[in-house]
Amino acid sequence: MFRVFAQPNRQLAWIASWTLFAIGICVYLRTAQVRHIENPEDHIVPTVKQLVTGFVHSASTPAEEDDEGQLGEHPSVWQRIYGSMLWKDTAASGKRFLISIALMFPAVLLGLHMGAFPWIGRFFIKFVLFFDKIIALSVLPILFIAFGIGEFAKIMLIVIGVAPTIILDSFNLTKSVPTEQVIKGFTLGAGDLCVAYHVILPQIWPRVLNSIRLNLKGIVLFLFAGEMIASQDGLAYRIALLQRHMGMDLIIPYVLWTALLLFVVDLTLKVIIRATNPWFREV
Amino acid sequence: MPPLVDVRNVTVDYRLKAGGVHTVFKELSLTIQQGEFVCVVGETGCGKSTLLKLLLGSEHPTRGTILINGTPVLQPDRDRGYVPQKYSLFPDKTVLQNIAFGPISEASRPFCFLRPQWWRQRKQVYADALQYMRHVGLSDRDARKYPDQISGGMQQRVAIAQSLMLKPKILLMDESFSALDPNTRRAMQRLLRSIWAENKTTIVFVTHNLSEAVYLGTRVLQITQNGKLNCSEVSLDLLVPDYVRDAKGNPRQDEIDRIIREIDLPVAEPATPSEMVEVAS
Repeated sequence: MFRVFAQPNRQLAWIASWTLFAIGICVYLRTAQVRHIENPEDHIVPTVKQLVTGFVHSASTPAEEDDEGQLGEHPSVWQRIYGSMLWKDTAASGKRFLISIALMFPAVLLGLHMGAFPWIGRFFIKFVLFFDKIIALSVLPILFIAFGIGEFAKIMLIVIGVAPTIILDSFNLTKSVPTEQVIKGFTLGAGDLCVAYHVILPQIWPRVLNSIRLNLKGIVLFLFAGEMIASQDGLAYRIALLQRHMGMDLIIPYVLWTALLLFVVDLTLKVIIRATNPWFREV
Repeated sequence: MPPLVDVRNVTVDYRLKAGGVHTVFKELSLTIQQGEFVCVVGETGCGKSTLLKLLLGSEHPTRGTILINGTPVLQPDRDRGYVPQKYSLFPDKTVLQNIAFGPISEASRPFCFLRPQWWRQRKQVYADALQYMRHVGLSDRDARKYPDQISGGMQQRVAIAQSLMLKPKILLMDESFSALDPNTRRAMQRLLRSIWAENKTTIVFVTHNLSEAVYLGTRVLQITQNGKLNCSEVSLDLLVPDYVRDAKGNPRQDEIDRIIREIDLPVAEPATPSEMVEVAS
């Protein structure tokens, strides 16, 4: 069964892959049940009913700091969702996240040019390597002092944390394109930029997207760090706020919601990589 | 008539990491005339591929000059087609896109897609590429396939068509058929001979297979190593390719073997540098 050449059949493989989820859920439910028998007012391990109530509440009512009167007397379901605490927090975090992802693309281009043009590579490589070793969270106070506690500092934190990895990854991927391909490009009449953008970039592009996909957790980690320390909205801000009130019935749905969002983004990127690069089979 | 390729007193030295210098060529000189099919043979590590890289312009000699059509070689350009053994095609492009890459990239200008004539030109390039694809023996249904969906032999056919699209002055091939099985290899050799006979494109073909060199080339250059490195040439009277072909056009191995015995070229077998034989002109 546990041999290298073992070939699990489809049903058993499916069961095996969901076993840990099932165990985790069972352990949670049992713990919640036991604790609620001992103390019906327990907030540490909420029951499923409390979790569902908490999630519905967060997805249909505005945050405490917002005026409930903004929704009018008889708001529709969509108006309730749109004005809800969950939507507001998701939109705030999502905006920062998308800006951060967009800022990864100049990093990819820098890595491409560093790898393709030796002089640009020599100019940047040592600095980027040094930059990569700086622990992004350690510069957070500097960022807040220098740029204030606004959006810019939080986005800069993400960029400082993830961009060097993306630059170095793009650089290494560019270097890994076989020299034969580059020479071939020139012998087919391409110039320097044509080789960089029409020979090298299309080959590294799906791998770069994959690299960004694998760094999504890092991006969200820095995003949450920034939001928890200095923010007035966002998913991490809400989790930090609820922690003070021990609001586990909302924290757990928020954590699961964040994981679900990240899973959807990951899946979307996978689909985009496969659809736009049919030749690429590594994802 | 001035030679197409003129290699003058070229020396190539590599600095070794452990210190010292490794000399690959010392005062190497050779000329290649327009329309020649030159095969370069020699043992692994003797400098065959280095010679090709020098002609390509991807490496530069320590001393000496290399002229193509009287112009010094500075970097790879469209005058020299290139078919390497591996990575000969762009993996992200289909067969047709690979063949059309040269003319398309040459015609590309910033925002060229805004001009209607660009789209007409592009359509014409793809029509021409389809012709080249058929010419090297590929069918239309291969056009949309990616390189990893076709065999090694088909990949090399595409690579040859890709290079010929731009009508280069010289086609440089680096062990292009080494990774192919014997049957495919023979088919590719026949294809290359017929293309050469038809277009009279100058070809420099690097191989470690002496039989292949004798079958294909109008001239065989053997790079040898005997203390100092040099290059010896053996002219073979193979201008008529049928000389070594049977009635079906297949190479006659017995005839090739007889020629090899007559000219006393060392058949490719593992040998130490001191055992390698220099062949007199």
